[in-house]
Amino acid sequence: MNIIRFLSDVLLYTSPILFCTVGGLFAYRANIVNIGLEGMMYFGGLASVLAIFFTQSLFLGIIVGMVISAAIGVLFSYFSVNKNANFIITGLGINLLATAAGKYILVEMGLTEINLINIDRVVDLGVDLPLIGRLPFLGGILSGHTPFTYLSLLAVFAAWAVLYRTPVGVYVRVCGDNEDAGVSLGIPTAKIKYFAVILGAVFCGFAGYNVTVEQLASFTPSFTDGIGFIAIAAIYCGDGKPLKSSLYAFLFGAAKSLAINLAVTYGSIAILLKMIPYLAIVVVLFAVEGVKHSRTNIRGISHV
Amino acid sequence: MEIIRCVGVTRKFGDFYANKNIHFSVAENEIKAVVGENGAGKTTLMNVLYGLLEPTNGHVEVRGDRVNFTSPVDAIRASIGMVHQHFKLVPTLTVRENVLLGAEVKGTINLAGRSVTLPLLSRRKGRAKVLELIERFGFDLDPDTLVRDLSVGAKQKVEILKMLYRSVDILIFDEPTAVLTPQEIDDFFDSLRQLKKQGKTIIIITHKLKEVMMISDSVTVIKKGEVVKSIETAKTSERELAQLMVGRDVLLSVESDHSASPNNPLVYEVENLSTRTDDGRKVVDGVSFGVKEGEILGIAGVEGNGQSELIRVLSGLMRSTEGTVRMRGEDITNSWPRGLRDRRIGIIPEERYVHGLCREMTLAHNCIAGYHYNSEFCSRGLMKRRAIEHWRDRLIEDFDIRISDAGGQLSSLSGGNAQKIIIGRELESNPDFLIAAQPTRGVDIGAIEFIHTTILALRKKRKAVLLVSTELSEIMSLSDRILVMYRGRFIDEVDARNVTRGELGLLMAGVKE
Amino acid sequence: MKKNDPQRNTKAAVTLVNAVSPVILAFLIGAVVILIARENPLSTYWILFSKSLFDFQGLMKTLHYASPLMLTGLAIAVTFKAGFFNMGVEGQLLVGAFAAMIVGTSFPAMSPVLLVPLCLVTGMVCGILFAAVPAVLRAFFNVNEMVVSLLLNYAIAIFLEYLTSGPFRNPSSGYVSTNMLPDNAILHHLGGTKLTIFTFVALAVFIVMYFLFNRSRLGFEIEAIGYNPSFSEAVGMNVGRKILTIMLISGALAGLAGAGWLMSEKYAYTLSFSGAVGLGWDGMLIALLGAHNPAGIIVAAIFYATLKVGVQNISVFTHVPSEIIALIQAMIILLLSLKMIGGPNTRGYKRIESLLDSGRRKEKIG
Repeated sequence: MNIIRFLSDVLLYTSPILFCTVGGLFAYRANIVNIGLEGMMYFGGLASVLAIFFTQSLFLGIIVGMVISAAIGVLFSYFSVNKNANFIITGLGINLLATAAGKYILVEMGLTEINLINIDRVVDLGVDLPLIGRLPFLGGILSGHTPFTYLSLLAVFAAWAVLYRTPVGVYVRVCGDNEDAGVSLGIPTAKIKYFAVILGAVFCGFAGYNVTVEQLASFTPSFTDGIGFIAIAAIYCGDGKPLKSSLYAFLFGAAKSLAINLAVTYGSIAILLKMIPYLAIVVVLFAVEGVKHSRTNIRGISHV
Repeated sequence: MEIIRCVGVTRKFGDFYANKNIHFSVAENEIKAVVGENGAGKTTLMNVLYGLLEPTNGHVEVRGDRVNFTSPVDAIRASIGMVHQHFKLVPTLTVRENVLLGAEVKGTINLAGRSVTLPLLSRRKGRAKVLELIERFGFDLDPDTLVRDLSVGAKQKVEILKMLYRSVDILIFDEPTAVLTPQEIDDFFDSLRQLKKQGKTIIIITHKLKEVMMISDSVTVIKKGEVVKSIETAKTSERELAQLMVGRDVLLSVESDHSASPNNPLVYEVENLSTRTDDGRKVVDGVSFGVKEGEILGIAGVEGNGQSELIRVLSGLMRSTEGTVRMRGEDITNSWPRGLRDRRIGIIPEERYVHGLCREMTLAHNCIAGYHYNSEFCSRGLMKRRAIEHWRDRLIEDFDIRISDAGGQLSSLSGGNAQKIIIGRELESNPDFLIAAQPTRGVDIGAIEFIHTTILALRKKRKAVLLVSTELSEIMSLSDRILVMYRGRFIDEVDARNVTRGELGLLMAGVKE
Repeated sequence: MKKNDPQRNTKAAVTLVNAVSPVILAFLIGAVVILIARENPLSTYWILFSKSLFDFQGLMKTLHYASPLMLTGLAIAVTFKAGFFNMGVEGQLLVGAFAAMIVGTSFPAMSPVLLVPLCLVTGMVCGILFAAVPAVLRAFFNVNEMVVSLLLNYAIAIFLEYLTSGPFRNPSSGYVSTNMLPDNAILHHLGGTKLTIFTFVALAVFIVMYFLFNRSRLGFEIEAIGYNPSFSEAVGMNVGRKILTIMLISGALAGLAGAGWLMSEKYAYTLSFSGAVGLGWDGMLIALLGAHNPAGIIVAAIFYATLKVGVQNISVFTHVPSEIIALIQAMIILLLSLKMIGGPNTRGYKRIESLLDSGRRKEKIG
């Protein structure tokens, strides 16, 4: 296994998880568990690919992806904030709707996947970093990634800054920790929740763009591969804190990179290695939550 | 000069008048007390003043102008602030963040000679503003502490600061002393006097008449949603107010003879019991006690001194970290709730709708909960519907539970009647030992009397009772012995026959001669 | 208990409206999609329903298709009702099917009287074992069961893909598939219809579950835990252990559904064994649509089987892609998450109450 390749792939596979993690934790901190991350990512990716396929414009791809995923965010928040829906089921409904819509569109177009390989700018989106790119070892790991991969790293710090350094971020946390306190001071908590969910949805849309356009240069009906749920696991493990959750996202990205890089070496059981990330996450969740659980003397189990 | 005037304020909930044609006014820079029983309509009136409720009829005037509040924000804008009985604070934020919440101080930069506001918080400036307020009113607070680490008294100060930061002139306090120790109450009164000196007008809602006499300038008495009388405090007495409030003598009519025989055998023993919260604090710290047959042991204390956790451990909802619990000699430490009930221990939990009852379920199912394993209600895994309904009807009859539809859900019951379901369920199963936590909290006077009588009857049947309550009068009138809990330990044990309120109050504040 | 309790009637009516209105809405949205595909929604929907409901063979086929759906619907409902989410029903179903396949192909000579129950029980046991992972993690370590069971779905699908394409591959088959079940392990069609014993097994399970939900102590406990877990703990239900029981029941039903579907329809395990959306996910729709209540679930399962059978005709008679059904299904679930009509204090509830009220008055006058 090539160690540089492995580490570079860690970054590659972590970035969509990172986007979804950052996206999910805003809602999580506002006391809404968004199970629909996967679907939002799916819609974002699908919309971006379609836009690029028909217009050949990367820029329009990004914009359309953002708009569509934000629209799904609006739908989700309308259901869970205004309509008091069971947001777990709303989220699962969005996930199912996403795959169903993707497959339906493919069938209508008479394709098994939407390929962007022929659009020349999509094939080579890698950015060679100045200075860092010329470093030995580090250059090979850090340089040559696509713009949204770098953006995902910035997103973590942006999320941290918004959550802890702006009034809106404080209000998001107020929604989660004591909504009544916010209401009594006239903070528009419903709007804040909308903001948290929609912002999160846009981040998930970025994850979709990152995977479909930048990594695969195509849309295939199962491209999300559980990334949304992996992000939820990262959020749970990291208590919804941006930096801590991102650390877990990296851990899970590393598991995926390991599985894929090992698969190159082992031919026949390569397919089995694909299980590693999912099993690793279950083990990590068990370890983290188990430790939390062992610390409490209070008996009983609550929902979600 | 009148700063607030209510003109014929009426507020209806369905067919029920919570407030009926209330005329009431507050003079500028006075301390006004609004007194009345539980459910008399005080809180509704204050919620109308604070914009949380809109009046059905009538209106409110502030400084002579008619106002129409639709939210607390309107009230704050008209310089009316409120400190709720249950604080509206965010535990995970600091004092500074809580005070500034919703009106944050943002950072600015100088751009070409003009100052531009950034969308970012300025911690430094925010901190300075909060510190300035803290100093002006002489509070003892650190702006950078997390609110969850503060004592109750300090939290109340944060609430006050929150309002002062919004430069309100009129402060409404809802039952401000309910959760304070006697010391904290003195401290709170000092703050009130300080506020008054600075020109603020203060309204306190309370049912503690001693405090009314101590602090207020004038009093308004409310009964059944209507104003009975408004009077200057200097011209009235505690006795007169009590009569106005209840319409009869307020002394609790049920009183134990406090004559438990010291030679009765021990039923329930706790030895050196401790437990810790998730963050590692030892909230119950090596407590020991025993309860004898025919005895009511009272545990008094200000809320938050470990009683809740003690009850949770004793009722099987929390593990103990050390110590033993015995029932008639048998070790039952850390038994699960079912094991406790199997050993004839009845439990009246502290939080009625969390641990005692399920709002969404039927009355019948609530009546058997905890005893649903008994062969009387269940055989071979199937529930006996008819027997369950019989049992429900029996409880309704024996415990005088007032209900419109016996087949309906529990949520249609009033607090008092809901509590009677728990009491009926636990007592009709004939326990040898009863844990009664805050048995009359939020219950109307009639039901309180009934519950007290029932508990005393249990004592007469030579059963053992552990009574945990923050209501001093309840503890004093029912118990044989009283243990006072302070910071997770028992600071002292006193004989209920010859202890005074004052002595108990000092002990509750942690003062022992 | 009075049979004609008005409060009970209102509640039932509200439940019905809450279940039916999302379906109608979803079909309306589906109609728009069909219009965009330049087809006639009415005739499409007619084909969808007529051939699977109003035709004897079609109806039998629908009942046959409803059998695993009933089981997965119950599997999900039993956990939903307690407020927990076994999202692993799909994976547990696949495990059950694969295990039944292994047992079936291993003992081709065994008498069907023994082999059939053995296969079904193996499916159940393996479903239970696979459900035990999220169940134990939740009950004793408070790890979120939803995330764990979802992720394990991905893992098990990969694992079974490996087994199917490697060690258990049928070399003579043109596509990736395991060996066919021997005749002794197959549930045969009855009386020239698609119906098999499996449908009756599912019905028997339904009856057991009906009693479990409505009459048993466990049913009472499930309801209580669903409403208020703290209360349930305080009155001695030992919620952790109950969660374990409930999740294991769920796994057993899922495993049984998988084994039965293998033995009555598929006969061999393939990569698309469970269909495009997956029988487990279909179960979620059915549980939600049936309002977690056994009688509702049976209706919902038949309704959804109708769609599944009907959709095969759609692609034959129209140009509408069969994927339209997955789209409608997702829409129904999404809309079901909204309670169109809320609790007793909402406007909608009161409107239904007054509607029923005026109906009753008219009855009296008449």
